[in-house]
Amino acid sequence: MTEAAGGGRRAYREVTPDSVETLALVLREATESRSVVQVVGGGTRQGYGSPPAPDIVLDMAGLSGIEEWDPDDLTVTVGAGTPVADLEAELAGRSQTAVLPEVPGASTVGGVVAAGMSSLRRGRLLGTRERMLEVRLVTGDGRVVRGGGRVVKNVSGYDLPRLVVGAFGSLGVITSVCLKLWPRPPAAATVSIGDLESAGRVRRPLAVLEHDGSTEVFLWGTPEEVFSSTARLEGESREGHHWPADPAGPYRWSLRIPPASTTAGVSRLPPVWSYLAIHGAGEIRAASDVPDGAEDLRGWAEGVGGSLVVVEAPKDGINGLDPWGKPPPGLEIQRRLIAQFDPARVINPGRLPGGL
Amino acid sequence: MSLVQDLRAVLGDDRVLEEPVELYLYSRDASLMHGQATYVAFPHTTAEVAAVVRVAEAHAVPIIPRGAGTGLAAGAIPVDGGIVLSTTSMNQIELDVDNRTAWVGAGVINLDLSKEAEPYGLSFAPDPSSQSACTIGGNVANNSGGAHCLAEGATTSHVLGLEVVLAGGEVLVLGGQAPDTPGLDLKGLIVGSEGTLGVVTRALVRLLPIEADVRTLLLDFEDLSGATRTVSDVIAAGVVPAALEIMDQKMTTAVENWLRAGLPCDCAAILLAEVVGEPEAVEAEAALVSSIGLENGARNVQVARDEEERAILWKGRKSAFGAVAQVSPNYYLHDTVVPRSRLVETMEEVQAIADRYGLDVYNVFHAGDGNLHPLMAFDASDPVMLDKVHRAGEEMVAACLARGGALSGEHGIGLEKRDMMRDDFTELDLDAQARLKEAFDPAGLFNPAKVLPEGSRCFDFGGVRREIPDGAWL
Repeated sequence: MTEAAGGGRRAYREVTPDSVETLALVLREATESRSVVQVVGGGTRQGYGSPPAPDIVLDMAGLSGIEEWDPDDLTVTVGAGTPVADLEAELAGRSQTAVLPEVPGASTVGGVVAAGMSSLRRGRLLGTRERMLEVRLVTGDGRVVRGGGRVVKNVSGYDLPRLVVGAFGSLGVITSVCLKLWPRPPAAATVSIGDLESAGRVRRPLAVLEHDGSTEVFLWGTPEEVFSSTARLEGESREGHHWPADPAGPYRWSLRIPPASTTAGVSRLPPVWSYLAIHGAGEIRAASDVPDGAEDLRGWAEGVGGSLVVVEAPKDGINGLDPWGKPPPGLEIQRRLIAQFDPARVINPGRLPGGL
Repeated sequence: MSLVQDLRAVLGDDRVLEEPVELYLYSRDASLMHGQATYVAFPHTTAEVAAVVRVAEAHAVPIIPRGAGTGLAAGAIPVDGGIVLSTTSMNQIELDVDNRTAWVGAGVINLDLSKEAEPYGLSFAPDPSSQSACTIGGNVANNSGGAHCLAEGATTSHVLGLEVVLAGGEVLVLGGQAPDTPGLDLKGLIVGSEGTLGVVTRALVRLLPIEADVRTLLLDFEDLSGATRTVSDVIAAGVVPAALEIMDQKMTTAVENWLRAGLPCDCAAILLAEVVGEPEAVEAEAALVSSIGLENGARNVQVARDEEERAILWKGRKSAFGAVAQVSPNYYLHDTVVPRSRLVETMEEVQAIADRYGLDVYNVFHAGDGNLHPLMAFDASDPVMLDKVHRAGEEMVAACLARGGALSGEHGIGLEKRDMMRDDFTELDLDAQARLKEAFDPAGLFNPAKVLPEGSRCFDFGGVRREIPDGAWL
């Protein structure tokens, strides 16, 4: 474990635990002293929710690396602090993928899970929650807990592995996860198409992405399949997958709507916003210089049963806009669940909807 | 007012059963265990379910949610009395073709949903072998799988939203068509919770486009390891077929004697593989499966020529358990999982255990997932035999756990494997599970005595430890 002092206006302790036991000790002490703990993986999602002023900043880099990987089993167990890019590079060597975000930057596996970030391939291969087979975590009061197991199919007990996805550490600090892998087929192509309609010529593409006025269909499969699908699309084709990065800007947004409303969602974005729409999944990632227009967009999204979430915003620049919008149903049960795992509410307090 | 009067005030006389023969029927499911129902209730609406929950709470009587009763892990039996709440009358389907979703009543039969969606080119992926009888509510409760969840995932991957009745009769609608509902994913936690957190009344499910083409192949092998190696090699080649199912010689013979489908009975194992997708892909992938099979010692590769032949092959697979009825009056099967790379050694040990107890074991399993279903055929009227079956079964489960496997892949824990949870999880793990339950159902109203062993909550010194009641095994 290494420790350092940090912070500007408010001093905090920076801790990098190198074992689950040390982490448990840190959290037990935090609960006793009612200290606020901020958990940091790659630091790419610290703007989400209302980040607390921490007493302790936990750097998860000490718990990283591949723990167990048998390519034949299509499972991998990794430390939470493992960078997504490193893991995917390793898996690609045996033509496999964990179907995590394609342009992850410094994101770690634990961070992606805790923040509920998903792959651009989610329209076909679903989101990060569907990769979760096992989770190990340390609760707010320092209990070391496992849920699930290291097999691809398991219904033994409550589904804790999926519950931690998007929970922002409120049930505990994730120390390792076992993920279900997917084989990478031999052929892949990226096809630019003129209009979204023509994407319908391929029944189940890997991804259909729209950004900055252009639309691309991502294909994979046997060479025969990719060849014939490419021909049907009649667009400009490139070999391999050329994934776009998430839009960047001082304000970053996540618009979540029913899949059939994706085109309507794109047309409702303020014209100056940049965006990346995942068709078939109902997710639009966007960025802007100013927050103008967000309130109207949120009103529309909530009207169709979705949400507009603030992923990143300048400090004090959100003009009273709640990071999450309308609180989801079942807040009281969520509160009770969290109290069972983090009774003193020390890990990332207040970052979830409803100030949980 | 008495409990039955209160129930009748909510549902009317005809939707509350209390005759001994009716209670007897609803005290059982497809497992070998039974309990004792106090009453059986048939609500038609979510509001009625909420009212029944409030009545139960007022009388401190548990609620046991029940779909079609096809569960094999004794998840739907009333262990110690209680109101069996049948969801079968809640059977509405509302399709949203544009979004490829449907709101489905908990009592809708799995296959009926796919039939309803078929004219729109859509289907519901989870397909347990009992799909012509089992309900969506039951699928949600058990996070059911099926032969085709290899490529598409089990029920949880297809549930986008839930309407549930929780303690106090509170009705919540969780999740929805939009992805990533902010906050904790309560919906995902309720899937697979076996009716212990509340009563699911409706589910919003994802439907998939029916594939353009399908090819079903039957390969037969002289040894089991050739079949399992084929499974590994196919996936390593970058192809995840829609299904990869293996039956051993005994099971194949039992099915063939009953179905007369021309299955090869002189081989050690048959592999049923199905590939789906665009016609070009299907052709290429079928050729790949075939050549990998031949490289691994397949004697023959038979390709279903039409839908009729395909249907017969699948009927053989999905009726496998029933086919054993002609061999013995009873069967007991376990549902366990091992890492796929350890399938062969596990199968060998399962056989050795069966031999040691002098039992007949039949194997049919989801090979792509490493999900075993060793089935022991026997006569339950012989108590010595029954005891052997239980002890052998427990050893088989232990053998899987010892290889890094799991207690159950798709049938659930229920009452059957409740006490084995201690073999897989630590005290702290189980305590965490018990805390999840407590947050939803502090009074223990919903499906008590299931999933978690008594005393799972570490600091739970209150209750008297209740063992599985005598005579629950039958």
